[in-house]
Amino acid sequence: MPLVKRTPAPAAHQESPPQDIEEGLRSPEPGCRRQAAHACASRPDAIPLLSDSLRVETEPAVRQAILTALVGIGGDDAVRAIVPCLRSDDAGIRTGALDALRALSADIEPWLPSLLADPDADVRVLSTELARGMPADRATLHLCRMLERESHPNACAAALDVLAEVGTREAVPALRRLAARFAGEPFVVFAASVAIARIEGTKG
Amino acid sequence: MTPRSPGRTDPPDIAIGDEEFRRFTEFFYRRTGMIFGESKRYYVDRRLRDRMAATGAESFISYFGQLLTNTAEVEQLINAFTINETYFYREDHQFRCLTSALLGQIASRKRRSAPIRIWSMPCSTGEEAYSIAIWLLENWPSVDDWDIEIVGTDIDTRALQAAEEGVYAERALMRLSPYLIGKYFERLDGGRYRLAEDLRGSVRFTRANVMDQGETARHGEFDVIFCRNMLIYFDEKSRRQAADNLYDRLAPGGYICLGHTESMSRISPLFQVCRFDDAIVYQRPVGTSHGG
Repeated sequence: MPLVKRTPAPAAHQESPPQDIEEGLRSPEPGCRRQAAHACASRPDAIPLLSDSLRVETEPAVRQAILTALVGIGGDDAVRAIVPCLRSDDAGIRTGALDALRALSADIEPWLPSLLADPDADVRVLSTELARGMPADRATLHLCRMLERESHPNACAAALDVLAEVGTREAVPALRRLAARFAGEPFVVFAASVAIARIEGTKG
Repeated sequence: MTPRSPGRTDPPDIAIGDEEFRRFTEFFYRRTGMIFGESKRYYVDRRLRDRMAATGAESFISYFGQLLTNTAEVEQLINAFTINETYFYREDHQFRCLTSALLGQIASRKRRSAPIRIWSMPCSTGEEAYSIAIWLLENWPSVDDWDIEIVGTDIDTRALQAAEEGVYAERALMRLSPYLIGKYFERLDGGRYRLAEDLRGSVRFTRANVMDQGETARHGEFDVIFCRNMLIYFDEKSRRQAADNLYDRLAPGGYICLGHTESMSRISPLFQVCRFDDAIVYQRPVGTSHGG
């Protein structure tokens, strides 16, 4: 048999975990920064350091490790550290933050009303996705409140997409009102009718 | 993963309407990446009714409500839709991809003196790791030109002990031809088969928890990781952590193969999707430095 026998190959280069996490997060070496982020995964006291690093980090793999550490820690402060990334001009940062917040579903609900009312329509669009993993009645409540005042067709469409999957019957009156309010926007009217049909269990 | 026997009884006659079917398949796709069209209607309805009966749901709507709030039931549902057992040459399209595409690309970037390292994680009782060894011996013409190290790793020490012993029931060999069975196995009493000693000696088995960065880091870097049908059993937090650890264990340019119901794209943005003729796999980009 030509395959290698059970003698382990020498392991490839590995950085040792940094002695000082703060120093590690500021290292010029991405690998070292990533190691430092991993080392924070169960340390709530590291959230301020992770938050500072997240604001300036340019390496996607390190950013991902920071977000994963924040998700691992969880809680309100972790959410607070991640939310600003939803406003980033970089799509990779926005979607990375959204994925992280989705994984923090137990901590995100108190933040949802303000996110769904954010002045930035793009933030509102992204935030509708956070409702998808919530209990159906809570998701319905938050998204319907948003739709009662929402003026941006894209944000409406994003909320309707989520409601079509997880919405309860309580959403139907709000969806009918939305369709009436957006009578001049055929796409919103159509999306609302599809969501209503899905919720009521009839053909959409 | 432990083999399951379905042991099913006839599911109750709960009607699942067209719209409910569509709503459910959309939900299931979002969770697993598995797509069920109308042609799979019977397959889906049957398993869905089984789970509704098991949970006491009296209607699709009440069961669907459970799915939106109960991650344990979502896992049970996914189990019901996937064959959760291990055997030789399972999902062998990925082994075909390994020898038709991946190893050639890896070899083209490697010094001849460096070993090609392949990781089966989790390896359970060793069928996957040994399948890789057999597949390479039978299907990769360059197998004699390279040092190939295959490592099987699992959290379950009893499974690892069974992997070391290399004794399998006939059912585990169902996908192997009589030629391969005759070449690599010795028949024992009671319909069991023992893997040839040389082959057992060519796979190293180790214990590690994929969630533990320290434990996985000790294994060094791999060119190919087979991590199939594990991540679907994790919650979202654990998936992220596991994907991050697996990324660190891949050499730049290395590939990871997941199960057919799994998609790394929905777990981590760090990997590139690579579509080959035989399989979709995920790659750590070539230009990424260690840890970056």
